[in-house]
Amino acid sequence: MDGIPLLFKYTVPDKLYEKFWEGLKKGEIYASRCKKCGSLYFPPQRDCNKCMSSDMEWVKLKEEGELMTFSIVKQKPQGFESFPDYTVAIVRNLDGVNLMCWVKGEPKVGKKVKLTTDGQRLICEVIE
Amino acid sequence: MNRKVAVIGVGNSKFGKRDDVTIRELAWEAVKEALEDAGLTQKDINITVIGSTAYRGTEIYPAPPVSEYCGFVGKSPIRVEAACATGSSAAFTAINLIASGLADIVMAIGVDKMTEVDTATSLAIGGRGGNYYWEFQLYGTTFPTYYALYATRHMAVFGTTEEDMALASVKAHKYASLNEKAHFRNRITVEDVLKSRVISWPIKLLDSSPISDGSAAVIFASEEKVKELKIDTPIWVKGIGYSSDTSYIAARGEWIGLEAARDAAVKAYKMAKVSPMDIEYATVHDCFSIAEIMAYEDLGFVDKGKGAELLREGQTEKDGRVAVNLFGGLKAKGHPLGATGLSMIYEITKQLREEAGPVQHSFKRYLALTHNVGGTGHYAYVMIFNR
Ligand SMILES: [Zn+2]
Repeated sequence: MDGIPLLFKYTVPDKLYEKFWEGLKKGEIYASRCKKCGSLYFPPQRDCNKCMSSDMEWVKLKEEGELMTFSIVKQKPQGFESFPDYTVAIVRNLDGVNLMCWVKGEPKVGKKVKLTTDGQRLICEVIE
Repeated sequence: MNRKVAVIGVGNSKFGKRDDVTIRELAWEAVKEALEDAGLTQKDINITVIGSTAYRGTEIYPAPPVSEYCGFVGKSPIRVEAACATGSSAAFTAINLIASGLADIVMAIGVDKMTEVDTATSLAIGGRGGNYYWEFQLYGTTFPTYYALYATRHMAVFGTTEEDMALASVKAHKYASLNEKAHFRNRITVEDVLKSRVISWPIKLLDSSPISDGSAAVIFASEEKVKELKIDTPIWVKGIGYSSDTSYIAARGEWIGLEAARDAAVKAYKMAKVSPMDIEYATVHDCFSIAEIMAYEDLGFVDKGKGAELLREGQTEKDGRVAVNLFGGLKAKGHPLGATGLSMIYEITKQLREEAGPVQHSFKRYLALTHNVGGTGHYAYVMIFNR
């Protein structure tokens, strides 16, 4: 027999990392940096766990990077059923930051890529 | 540890799609077997620790109903969770309760009913097994995707192939065919694996452990109780290692092995005062075929990058240099998250007592190890046992 369905509805804070979400709309990627000790955080953090300071600034990340690894998602999870197959990758940019993104172009480990956004998420374009 | 701790009883339900039971009856199968194995009743147990991830079942707070059904009301003050390493986190807690002197006999019960939700929902829950905000919401990662990122990198750096990975699945199914408690009893070939449906490339359906229901239970006791109860073959906990890693997988800096597992292994070897070369039998966390290859390397059985070679040479088969997963692994015995770590201790105990029937490995020093990973290396536990 059927059990009673449990529907979870979530609200997530949208002001917390607003600069990052605004950057996504403009094709820019922002990380946060501690003004006191210089630690760089991606995903951005509001608090520095190294020196305990919460005095942070936003830093725009460099767009050049290298494709470290990838996977092509064929069986999609709930919420992504309507997307065509997408490729998830990890890219290391020139700042030495490792970022998850979707891939545009033919992925290969070691390829040079350009980091950008599609307005909603990070994208890496493979440079031929 | 302040006091020595031994395994004195083990139980394991049949793994699989168990739509014939709720989580309560499922847990009882392992609990009953463990109590009978140790020759004890519920009143002999001081505390039970219940490990369950629970998100894929109707009982999202499973400890009270399980405890009530099994006759442990008043004795189940804690439920633990560490994703796919939940079973080991229950064992870890139970062992500590005894080592600290707080309790003398503790049962760790691991149980999960994972097939009560559909596959798309299950994938969406697994995809949250990292960092929801920065991974799943933006990129639609599934749990196989995370391990696939490791597989792609391992292939690019070391030349590991999809055929190599397939060998881990073939081995798992071969041994599961001899295990009446296994989810899958069928044998498969490398070609079957390569031809199976791609889930998250390079991971295919037959590279993946199934979504399973199941339970396992382990009774731990202090040295004094082992003597008092005249346990004839106690299995001693020699070493415990634990570690963890970042939730955001990209932050790790390298994707060729699980740093948490390496760290946990170093700690466990140090505590047990043994080296990787002393281990004769290991249960490793082969949730995906690449995970078994990385486990050989992370545990120090071979140098980094040589895992596939060890598998190809058949050195991890029964009576090989270090036999691995002779119960069929997570791949074919099944992987009910809460039960898996305790199910590994169940298998180690049967092997070290020489009660493993057709898959009995030959021991000289009677040293064995469990390697249980939670998430994609978010948690890791390595435990070393001897007879
Ligand atoms: Zn700082």
